[in-house]
Amino acid sequence: MNKMTTVKKSIITAVCIALCVVLPQAFHAIPNAGSIYLPMHIPVLLCGLICGWQYGLLCGLAGPLFSTLITAMPPMAYLPPMMVECAVYGCVAGLMMKLVHTGKVYADLYISLVAAMLAGRVIAGIAKAVIFMPGKFGMAMWTTSYFVTALPGIVIQLVILPTLVFALMKARLIPLRYSKEA
Amino acid sequence: MNQLPTGMYQPGTSVVHQMKANIKIFCFLILTGAVLMAETIWGYAVLVLFSGCLIYFSKIGLQTALSSVRRLIWFLIIIFVMNLCFYGPENPWIKIGIFAPSYEGLMQGVHIAVRVILMMVIGNVLMVTTAPLVLTEGMETLLLPLKLFRIPTEQIAMILSVAMQFIPTLFEEADMIKKAQIARGARFDSKKLLDKAGAVMPLVVPIFLAAFKRADELSLAMEARGYRTDMARGQRKFGMPTGFEWLAIITCSILCILQILCL
Repeated sequence: MNKMTTVKKSIITAVCIALCVVLPQAFHAIPNAGSIYLPMHIPVLLCGLICGWQYGLLCGLAGPLFSTLITAMPPMAYLPPMMVECAVYGCVAGLMMKLVHTGKVYADLYISLVAAMLAGRVIAGIAKAVIFMPGKFGMAMWTTSYFVTALPGIVIQLVILPTLVFALMKARLIPLRYSKEA
Repeated sequence: MNQLPTGMYQPGTSVVHQMKANIKIFCFLILTGAVLMAETIWGYAVLVLFSGCLIYFSKIGLQTALSSVRRLIWFLIIIFVMNLCFYGPENPWIKIGIFAPSYEGLMQGVHIAVRVILMMVIGNVLMVTTAPLVLTEGMETLLLPLKLFRIPTEQIAMILSVAMQFIPTLFEEADMIKKAQIARGARFDSKKLLDKAGAVMPLVVPIFLAAFKRADELSLAMEARGYRTDMARGQRKFGMPTGFEWLAIITCSILCILQILCL
């Protein structure tokens, strides 16, 4: 059985950071794909869910930074709010996975995922309203950009991420959460 | 995905290439601050002039420096037009439906576009003149003060360095999976957005599985060779800044202070 050692967690985090650069490029043929399909959020959330909050936090900070430096997307001006948002996703996903133990992998994953997605959006909205765009960012803008435009991305994340974690567990690439589900 | 991403390292012998990575990152952070502080035309003019000097001294060529700008030209045009038409509806030149172009909108559009272009050019110069491994070592040096808060800086630097190494490998992997999907009938070249989106979705899970398989192999190999994250590792000594590096730090700092105080 594969154990999650510190080295393995570190390498998985590194891979997730690299995926933050590679995955958005796969979507770049679709106009405005970044804000609709949110491809960069998938590796960050996955890293938090699998490796824990510290690693998720690092992935959320480094992923957008690397992507901006290497592919110029997201543009530098949008980088700080994006880093805040992704860091919260990774961190809360990891924390929730540590705290929630329902006995069912899918239930744990969905609870952690939804909590992380909500926390990330709320904190990124507050950060934009208070720090990055004071006076220009309101409730309507927050709802539109984080929920309406991003609806396909939210659905994709809710469908793909638990399936992905389960597929990785089945492939023995990460350890099982509950031994009875082996 | 077939083309190399912008900002890939290009070996060279220019003075900017020879600067230490930690100094370059430090200067980059100061310049980012200067760009974010710039508000006036004179402020931007000084920064554009400085960026020109940076490109000249780094000998990377205008084309390379502006490569990421070219890729985002439509994005910049859309941002500019949106600001021009919607930013200042109080004193518009002309009002046609919801479109109200104004002087304030024009200035805001120019302001944002120039700021994004400057950040891209400066970031590009840093990436093109610094080898990825040296860049992560430079980051590690700059992260050293975090050790006071018991943050494992060596581990963070290792993660960043491995991430850098993985990027080209995963690009190749993604390209291979994409070609396999095309062979199975995926329509990446379709003009219909739904077809395109439908073709991209099946890429995601195989890319993740392939990436995690590589991560598993690498971590196993590292552990088999006795790699431990809690042990101190050898570290590149960057040494004291040279005269030119001091000059670069002082110039960037003056530029940033000028942006805050007067420009």
